[in-house]
Amino acid sequence: MFKEIFLFELKQWLKRPAIYIYFVIFLTVSLLIGAAISGLFTGVTTDTNSHINSASAIAGILTSFSSDYLLGLITILVCVALMAGCVQKDFQYNCFSFYFTKPVSKFSYLIGRFSASFLLSIFVMMALLIGLWISLLLAPNNNNQLGEFKFANFFIPFVMFTLLNTFTIGALFFSIVTWTRNMTSGYVGSLIFLVIAGIARTITSDIDNKTLAAIIDPFGQQALDTVTEYWTPAESNTRMIPFNGYILYNRLFWFALSCGLIVITYFKFNFNQFLNPVKLFGRKNSERTSQPSKLIQSIGHLPKVTQVFNNAFACKQIVFLTKFEFKKITRSIFFYIMAVLAILLTVLISAFSGLIYGTETWPVTYTQLDLLGGIFTFFLMVMVIFYSGVTIWRERDCKVDELVGASPINNAIIFSSKYFAIMGLGIIMYLICIVTCIVLQATKGYYNFEIDLHIKSLLGMRIFSLMIVVALSLCMQVFFRNRYFGFFGMVLIMLGIPAILNAFDIALDLLKFNSSGSQMPYSDMNGFGHTVGTFFLYKFYWLGFVIVISTIAIAMYKRGKESTIKLRWKQTFKQFNLKYKLILLVGMFLFVGCGSIIYYNIRVLNPYKSEKEVEKLQVDFEKNYKKYQNEPQPRVVESNVQVDLYPDELKCNIKGFYYLKNKHKVAIKKIYININYEALIKNFEFNVSIKKIINDTSSGFYGFELNKDLAPGDSVKFDYDISYEPKNFIMKKQQTKIVYNGSFINNSLLPSIGYDPNSEIDDNTTREKYNLISKQRMAAINDTTAYGNTYISHDADWIRFECVVSTKEGQTAIAPGYLQKDWKKDNRHYFQYKMDSPILNFYSFLSANYEIKKDKWVNPLNKTNEVNIEIYYQKGHEYNIEKMIKGIKKSLDYYTKNFSPYQHKQVRILEFPRYSTFAQSFPNTIPFSEGIGFIAKLNNENIEEVDYTFYVTAHEVAHQWWAHQVIGANVQGSTLMSETMSQYSALMVMEKEYGQAAMRKFLKYEMNSYLQGRAMERRKEVPLMLCENQQYIHYNKGSVIMYALKDYLGEDSLNAALQRYIKKVAFQEPPFTTANDFYSFIKTATPDSLKETVKDLFERIVVFNNKVKNWSYTKTTNGKFKITATLSCIKTQNDSVGRAFDVKPNDWIDIGVFAKNEKHQNSYGEIIYLKKIKINGKEQKFELIVDKEPYMFGIDPLNKLIDKDNGDNSMDKNGKVIGGGIGDVGAVVVKAE
Amino acid sequence: MFLKISNLSKLYADGTKALTNVNLNIENGMFGLLGPNGAGKSSLMRTISTLQEPSEGTIFLDDLDVINNKEDMRKVLGYLPQDFGFYPKVSAEDMLHHFAILKGISNKNERKEICDALLHQTNLFEVRKRYIGDYSGGMRQRFGIAQALLGNPKVVIVDEPTAGLDPQERNRFHNLLSEVGENIIVILSTHIVEDVRNLCSKMAVMNLGQVMFEGKTTDSLELLKGKIYSTIIAKEELEEFRKQHNVISTKVSEGKIIAHVINDSLPNSNFTAVNADLEDVYFSFINSNKN
Repeated sequence: MFKEIFLFELKQWLKRPAIYIYFVIFLTVSLLIGAAISGLFTGVTTDTNSHINSASAIAGILTSFSSDYLLGLITILVCVALMAGCVQKDFQYNCFSFYFTKPVSKFSYLIGRFSASFLLSIFVMMALLIGLWISLLLAPNNNNQLGEFKFANFFIPFVMFTLLNTFTIGALFFSIVTWTRNMTSGYVGSLIFLVIAGIARTITSDIDNKTLAAIIDPFGQQALDTVTEYWTPAESNTRMIPFNGYILYNRLFWFALSCGLIVITYFKFNFNQFLNPVKLFGRKNSERTSQPSKLIQSIGHLPKVTQVFNNAFACKQIVFLTKFEFKKITRSIFFYIMAVLAILLTVLISAFSGLIYGTETWPVTYTQLDLLGGIFTFFLMVMVIFYSGVTIWRERDCKVDELVGASPINNAIIFSSKYFAIMGLGIIMYLICIVTCIVLQATKGYYNFEIDLHIKSLLGMRIFSLMIVVALSLCMQVFFRNRYFGFFGMVLIMLGIPAILNAFDIALDLLKFNSSGSQMPYSDMNGFGHTVGTFFLYKFYWLGFVIVISTIAIAMYKRGKESTIKLRWKQTFKQFNLKYKLILLVGMFLFVGCGSIIYYNIRVLNPYKSEKEVEKLQVDFEKNYKKYQNEPQPRVVESNVQVDLYPDELKCNIKGFYYLKNKHKVAIKKIYININYEALIKNFEFNVSIKKIINDTSSGFYGFELNKDLAPGDSVKFDYDISYEPKNFIMKKQQTKIVYNGSFINNSLLPSIGYDPNSEIDDNTTREKYNLISKQRMAAINDTTAYGNTYISHDADWIRFECVVSTKEGQTAIAPGYLQKDWKKDNRHYFQYKMDSPILNFYSFLSANYEIKKDKWVNPLNKTNEVNIEIYYQKGHEYNIEKMIKGIKKSLDYYTKNFSPYQHKQVRILEFPRYSTFAQSFPNTIPFSEGIGFIAKLNNENIEEVDYTFYVTAHEVAHQWWAHQVIGANVQGSTLMSETMSQYSALMVMEKEYGQAAMRKFLKYEMNSYLQGRAMERRKEVPLMLCENQQYIHYNKGSVIMYALKDYLGEDSLNAALQRYIKKVAFQEPPFTTANDFYSFIKTATPDSLKETVKDLFERIVVFNNKVKNWSYTKTTNGKFKITATLSCIKTQNDSVGRAFDVKPNDWIDIGVFAKNEKHQNSYGEIIYLKKIKINGKEQKFELIVDKEPYMFGIDPLNKLIDKDNGDNSMDKNGKVIGGGIGDVGAVVVKAE
Repeated sequence: MFLKISNLSKLYADGTKALTNVNLNIENGMFGLLGPNGAGKSSLMRTISTLQEPSEGTIFLDDLDVINNKEDMRKVLGYLPQDFGFYPKVSAEDMLHHFAILKGISNKNERKEICDALLHQTNLFEVRKRYIGDYSGGMRQRFGIAQALLGNPKVVIVDEPTAGLDPQERNRFHNLLSEVGENIIVILSTHIVEDVRNLCSKMAVMNLGQVMFEGKTTDSLELLKGKIYSTIIAKEELEEFRKQHNVISTKVSEGKIIAHVINDSLPNSNFTAVNADLEDVYFSFINSNKN
């Protein structure tokens, strides 16, 4: 019987088009995704070391088909469509009695059905493999992005993830739908899955949740990530996904759970129960005896009623029906489940979203607004799509369709009542979350609730979006004859269209459903910014669109039994009266009107350059002007500028002059000027007579021939007058530099002198396409021809600087230098700044409505040496101002004592909007993003907590030495002396303030970022001293290495070496210093015994894998404790793509013994023993006697060395390894100059 | 009131002819539409009820062009479909109010009055608070008629209302229908002859999408007067018997078969003449088509 049922089910499906349609959908989507990844249609490829057809790449794509929101949704939809209903349909179509009365065994019936539909799902999923295989097979390979095609690379991940996930999802839906006999429970089940996956992803932003996330993610993606995240390109290209560790546990866990569900379903199921489904909290079906029948009274004389069919009553009907539909949705257990899910989601995301280095953020209202975006919006969208199906099909599902269809009610009324009910659902969900957010804020001690902001964001923005999505989703259900096709239609519009646009590199967002144009996030400083108008314009455009299709949907609304579109149209054709036509017209007008305005603005008025066009421009620039690169040019020695910022008009005028000096030994004949091509040039003028020889406005390149040569040592004055102004607010890509409140621009908007090689294309694959010779990321460290420039400027060394910045009244404008005077004129506020000592050609201009906090640092070693401290901040962001001031003071203490005197008399921190999240150090001026530090919520009791406000401040202040005193030449390794040294300096200040415990967590995040970063390397990984501006090297690896170096050499002798180095190179004129110089000072300070170790740190890429294999201790007779341990130390040296070669360890490595930490299970207690011992073998036995009873034993327990798996460096006495997992760190990168 | 159906045909997309050139003239009073399953009754009913689009033909209710003016038709229509359900977890009272609103009964008091009256008269008032899902089949049908009668309809269409009801409930339902009134058109479609006999003075017989007979019930009996003969035969003889005679119906009784045949005169002495009843009429139309 099993066979018959199985085959029957199979045949039934194969006869219907649905299964093939699903297949084609999957094939298309996977083709498109493969095409987008490989540049199949666009031919756009970039440098890469990683193959896109390796097992880990394929596994990544396949898992994204479950865990990516939209892709996951279509997978789940197919599973629901195919598997959830496989038993339920017998009830729905009233054919259960056929089966239940036949001698069919439970096993044959249930398992036969399930396995048939599972097999079909697998068939549909196979389309993924085929689509990926084909698109990658056809992909261009000019950058060697394709490795050898191996069937196993596709098939094994498919089995491991896709197949198992399908089984899991299918088992869950099959079970709950069979129990409850209600498809809605299937939809809710799918939401729960997506939420669990979302939660798994979210919690990894705390480093210690990796294990948990890897297990609970139902789709295995977190497990895959955890296992493969440190794989270097070489590893990814060659390794198969290992079926062990996290992946094994995760897969087993979910497989067992699914099997369990099926077994339970099997035992719980009986044919009787089928007629009485499990009711979740349903009221008991109380037995009532039927009423004794009375005589029927006369029905002939019913009271007369009046029927009214006017607009007023139509409105009442809408209200009544909306209420009815709304009640149907909300008075259901599923609604409560979803509300709870929404709350849970909000709480969890809120708990983890703000983490930076694992440290919390104050829940200021904008962070709460962000919570309601992202996954929550997606969650709501899924609800909307599902409930659209439920509501539109309600009449048919309940078989009331003929009753309603024959009643004199207008289609428009039915449709709009369903529409409003779902809108109501959306709004309720939003309100629930807003209340949750407010409660969360209160629980964290934050009471500035800004309910008006919530309302603005809800009423102003979210509801508009919701209106559009709900309308389309309902229309889809009206248009399609099958609700699953309706779901797919909706998802494909939201997923498929962007995928197509992506695959063909079309950047017209008018085609992306419900697009909002370029938007900026809400900022406490700048509010919603200047994109609000753009937002509404786009929304009206889409509103027009949905009005049009809703009108059509109303005309087509299925009423009665006609199912063909043509007849449905004929049925309602007569209804399509003037009113409808008028509405249709309004919709068309909005759609076409707003669409045209947008198109005109983003394509004609503010011509947007596609990536390809920009590339072309770069190519032209290089081909035309590269020849001038080596022509001697005068250098900027003085910059004097007036910047007029107009925040309300988003524009600025920049007028000023440079003194350009011929520092060469030959006379200069020609001067070239380079400027951002968006600048409007009003005037370029020299104080000598010249002839314009190049005037290329599209590249922004200008050439002038001097009538009289500029002799060596002579200067010329160059005046310029330029402006930047948008033609209109609506732009394809929104600028966030000049905004209503919180403008932040720097000198890159000003003209520069000579050919700027930074404007060239870096990517060698792209260069090859345009026949340009390949290019190194940076000049080699020994290339002395590049020593003439610093790595941040090609046209200046040290300059005199003076400026006037003006802004609208009410705002404060700030630039590097000391305020000379300020005055007001014509409703504008002018500020004059002057620098008293030479600075790098690197300055910024900011303007905002600031609060100011002032303080003063007095040098403890020299009381006459004072520095003014000023913090310019947004009102309401007072939380960490004191921390910042303290950070500045401690930094100045440490740096002046250990490095050299501070060259300025002030340090200022300036808050800017969170459109970028970095802090940057300009001369005595540090712009600091609103998104980091200002709203960090520091908890003084947690000793392991990373006070990143303090850290970032210390890092930026350190740049006043490491960059603004010592600046490397434009060659490899120069960021070692700026970024790495600023990291080191900040670490030292932090260690003094917070102790070693805080270091450990910080360094763990740094190591994690390094290991993840090198896995993504597209060109080549280099040793620290050859760093080519790679952030994962100069920040993250740099921190770890410098901390280890300090540990080996000792803080004092290291600092002494640094001091000598600074003394030699600070403020030097060209040729500039290099990492070779720096390293020679380090080497001098290194004892012979450590020479090899220091070489490992700076000159090689060395990765350890240290672990404790086992250890035990015995009490000795004299009351001491004897420890015996086996240690394992695997040391590898790596090449530039991450191929690892074992080397024999011969290193001094920390051995630590710790007492128990009563508070934190996974932390160390008191240090009983911590010393370096020489390790010179892969495995080493070790004995040690300590005074106190040990609890934990470890090799390199404080993670000073780069360690591939630093979670197993220590082991407690029960054999449990600790160190905590390493997960994904929040997206903050602290950039600095 | 006069409902005129002219040349109505319905061809489904798959080629099935549901209705072929149907012409009917229906006046006030109960009109019975008799026919076997699949005769096209429901298609006709749905077409009149605006739920289906005919391929050809017209329907006029007095001056109202039903096909092109569905909205107006719906205002005067009460419809009880053959197979219908209700929203789960909604009480009879709420459901009736729901339909009252759909039917445009705007005045709250009027709405209450008519709903209460209908519930009383369909004997559901006592159980009005119960979910309709918990109702028995008979109660459901009574509720169905109650909703059809909301808003003083001029045309009431009931499609196979008594199928599946026990005799007592069927009786009860007949009583209800018979009261519905003489001033409106009530079309009752059924395959049960007794329903028509009990209730309708006029009727039509349909088979295979065509109208076989239309007229007064009594007239139909006239047609067969003296033409129906009955005999008893053994089961084994049936096949042979069918070949020889124009059999319109067979009934099993105590192991033997009572067969009715239609013939202008007594076929032979084994037969006895019987008075034609409505059932014979029905079977004669259905089976004459088969021949």
